[in-house]
Amino acid sequence: MKNFILRFYIAIFASFSLGLSINAQTRTETFAITNARIVTVSGAAIEKGAVVVRNGLIEAVGANAKIPADARTIDGTGLTIYPGFIDANTSLGLAPAPAAPQRPVGQVGGGQLAAQTSQPQSNSNYPDGLQPEEYAAGKLKAGEAQFETNRNAGFTTVLTVSRDGVFNGQSAVINLAGDTVSQMIIRAPFAEHFSFTTLRNGQYPTSLMGTFSALRQMLLDAQRLQTLRQAYDKNPRGIKRPETDKSLDSLLPILNREMPIVFNANTEIEIVRALDLAREFNLNAIVSGGQEAWKVAGRLKAQNVPVLLSLNFPKRTAAASPEADAESLEVLRLRAEVPKTAAKLAQAGVKFAFQSGGMTSINDFLTNANKAVENGLSKDAAIRAMTLSAAEILGVGNRLGTIETGKIANLTVSRGDVFSKDKTITHVFVDGKLFEQKEKPKTTTPATGGTQPAATATVGGTYSITINIPGQPLEGTLSLTQQGEILSGSLQTQLGTTPIKDGKVTAEGFNFTTTVELGGSTFNLDVSGRVTGNQISGTMTTPQGAVAFSGTKTP
Amino acid sequence: MKKVTVFLLLISINLISLKLVSAQSKAEVLIRNATVLTAAKGTLENADILIQNGKIARIGKNLRASSNARTIDATGKFVTPGIIDCHSHTMMDAVNEFSYSVTSMTRIRDVLNPTDIAIYRALAGGVTAANLLHGSANAIGGQNSTVKFKYGKPIEDFVIPDAPPGIKFALGENPKRTNFNPTPGATPRYPRTRMGVMEVIRDAFVRAREYKKSWDDFRAKRTTVQPRRDLELEPLVEVLEGKRLVHAHGYRSDEHLNLMLLADEFGFKVATLQHALEAYKIAPEIAKRGTGASIFADSWSYKLEAYDSIPYNGYLLWKAGVVVSINSDSNERMRRLNVDAAKMMKYGGVPEEEALKMITLNAAKQLGIDRRTGSIEVGKDADIVIWNAHPFSVYSHAEMTMIEGEVYFDRQQDISKRAELARERETLEKMDINRPPGSGGTPPAIPKEKRQSHLDDADSDKDGGNRQ
Repeated sequence: MKNFILRFYIAIFASFSLGLSINAQTRTETFAITNARIVTVSGAAIEKGAVVVRNGLIEAVGANAKIPADARTIDGTGLTIYPGFIDANTSLGLAPAPAAPQRPVGQVGGGQLAAQTSQPQSNSNYPDGLQPEEYAAGKLKAGEAQFETNRNAGFTTVLTVSRDGVFNGQSAVINLAGDTVSQMIIRAPFAEHFSFTTLRNGQYPTSLMGTFSALRQMLLDAQRLQTLRQAYDKNPRGIKRPETDKSLDSLLPILNREMPIVFNANTEIEIVRALDLAREFNLNAIVSGGQEAWKVAGRLKAQNVPVLLSLNFPKRTAAASPEADAESLEVLRLRAEVPKTAAKLAQAGVKFAFQSGGMTSINDFLTNANKAVENGLSKDAAIRAMTLSAAEILGVGNRLGTIETGKIANLTVSRGDVFSKDKTITHVFVDGKLFEQKEKPKTTTPATGGTQPAATATVGGTYSITINIPGQPLEGTLSLTQQGEILSGSLQTQLGTTPIKDGKVTAEGFNFTTTVELGGSTFNLDVSGRVTGNQISGTMTTPQGAVAFSGTKTP
Repeated sequence: MKKVTVFLLLISINLISLKLVSAQSKAEVLIRNATVLTAAKGTLENADILIQNGKIARIGKNLRASSNARTIDATGKFVTPGIIDCHSHTMMDAVNEFSYSVTSMTRIRDVLNPTDIAIYRALAGGVTAANLLHGSANAIGGQNSTVKFKYGKPIEDFVIPDAPPGIKFALGENPKRTNFNPTPGATPRYPRTRMGVMEVIRDAFVRAREYKKSWDDFRAKRTTVQPRRDLELEPLVEVLEGKRLVHAHGYRSDEHLNLMLLADEFGFKVATLQHALEAYKIAPEIAKRGTGASIFADSWSYKLEAYDSIPYNGYLLWKAGVVVSINSDSNERMRRLNVDAAKMMKYGGVPEEEALKMITLNAAKQLGIDRRTGSIEVGKDADIVIWNAHPFSVYSHAEMTMIEGEVYFDRQQDISKRAELARERETLEKMDINRPPGSGGTPPAIPKEKRQSHLDDADSDKDGGNRQ
């Protein structure tokens, strides 16, 4: 009897694990896309051929690729297959950091940088924002549903890192699929990221000058720690044990050129400052942003510094007003020049990859890549900047970026040239997993549960809204920036402009909180709403009651 | 048809010659027949200046230049050395590092921004060089940068390579007052009194002396473990060794005197007392130490600690043998330092050349760059301004400003370029990308440029980090 029960359990367990493995099998189904145009990037495009995907890898590619009998065949007539697109800098999958607690800044004389963290909570002696060891891969949220918007736009891989702090921390290269964080990661850590900014809580550095000095002192201290430790490791007798500090420790791979450092730098002078720092400490630098990189192309080339070039082109958002000062020539020129940057970098031989640069709608990525093409960049170079070049800069060129046998099966399939206006992304493969797109739905069916329960709505944009306060409707502008499930932006009314906080996008719509100043008091607003087509509607709740709002998207 | 060809030929020749001019930037220049205020050797009438390789090669009458030299007829015009502003915060993306009372580790060099339009405006006022200082929020502030205004050049070209390094100190109200809106809940920064300011400086030098000793011991092999490099104390060791100039902001002469006594004690010299509006009270003490005074021409009593300032301050200091310069501390006043110098003649009667020196050679001396600039003398850098009238007249303006023989401001060119810029603006504004959004959009932004209304720099927060 006992034996029987045991056997029963074993049987159940076996079927359970079998079920799991069947599930896994369906995930890494074998696919063959046939009769498609294939932009391999590694070589010439194949006008008509097939790509076979098995076990998450590219098994075969070519005009005469053998189609396995067990493959699910997708007729690719009229479709073009590209290597999966890479967005070379994002914060996808990372929740925004909670506001740092204010720390008292009282101190005597000129203390040392490390001294201001009065009671270090860990073996870092540095305050939040100056902790290079912050590790993106350790903060990723699991679940692939959060990436749907980006996948739908054709992206299979991104570099992701926090935007907070002077040191943003170490970034990760991730695939936009996988249920667990472990499954997503391709390479982590990839690089340290650094912003020319300050700490926000009154602590050193409060100025850009201080930021440079703090960085310099930390690098020097890390160098010294390394030297002391080497001596100590050789023979600890008679030597005082060097203190460990994980912040300084995490700078060692950068100093030893084992890890690149990405400087967020857009203007010419910022890029020059990054290049100067790289030279001063012999760092393996990468520039991210790079709007004016063409002005320093010679130095970028000479120092062999690649650029993660933002496609978030500056645009005029200010309304026309007779009272406003005319925009400066500098600003007008910049907007005209930025789309030419990619072509100029290509001409100068500077290596670059495209990144979204925090754009409101990820769909602008391809639109703006096309603008770069219209401004002189070859289409091949544009494709390369979001495939192979990106993969190479991110150190994963041997796994990603081309359609070649044995590489990770990340593919983006479109109907029509990917740079044309009427293109449609039809299929996206990430790690061999197919994410099929519904081609331009003719009827608007609201996404209600069913097949995509955790999908997020698309709500990014600028909306002119009316808040229906009884007897006194209030006009305003709601600017929403969506990155996956995370929503940021601002609410602007005649009462002022306030940033939105705790913004979330759900399957049905969005919610966030913000504040309104009225008569010297600050009121909290809980806002929730939804977007249908170009219409927005919802409610704003205050402690005094709730009001409805509605509006339309401004083009 | 023939006419058209000739016309085209002429145009192309013009274009070529224009190109040549800009390509051969270090070409010979001959300024002819000017009234030259040398700021060193008196005023020369109907004089010529020959510039070769960016240097003043000859000064005299009826000078001859080679055939490809550019000749500028300066008949009826006045020529002076380029003006040097001994206290400025122009072209800096940050001014104050507020956090600590000692921020000697910060470097203005790190935040210089060569695109600041204020540079061009300063050139239009005849300014060619400046002492770019950290703000006055800290008892010991950051390291200065002494630059020439080579607008349009890469940033490394601005920095005068052989200028001795300097550092900003600040006494009195600014470093001690606590109204910098410290973050709510934060403890106000030490010090809060004038004696506290002195204590902070003394403490810093005591630490610097110990730090220097630790390195001296290591270098003499008395110790084995290499000391930690401390970027805060390194520049203070340089001060102790006489290698770094101290530029000390202050108004009250008791405090400036106190600082000089402290410097005596630690064995260094204060290079300049900045502002020093009541320094006439301690003029002999300043003169005795060879310390300079860099003052405002006026701004008498403009704040509480400046109540004892008087119009004759500059005159009295000069009379006592102090090297006096007049600074602006302001992007706006920097453009009219020539008029500020003229005020020195009005109050007390400083002689014309001595007044001119206060915005040229004396500032160069205070900054340790007088071997290369500050006066019109053979062998010096050709940092030269051509004025339409005597520079001490309110009706005069700079017609041309050159640095090392290169023209960085040319009034005629500026005027003729305006139409071209207007056309460019028109074209740019028509582009889709520059059009305002059809509907919605955010309201137009308030102009970003901060309009400075006063001279003091402790509140300056022109800070890259906060600009976003």
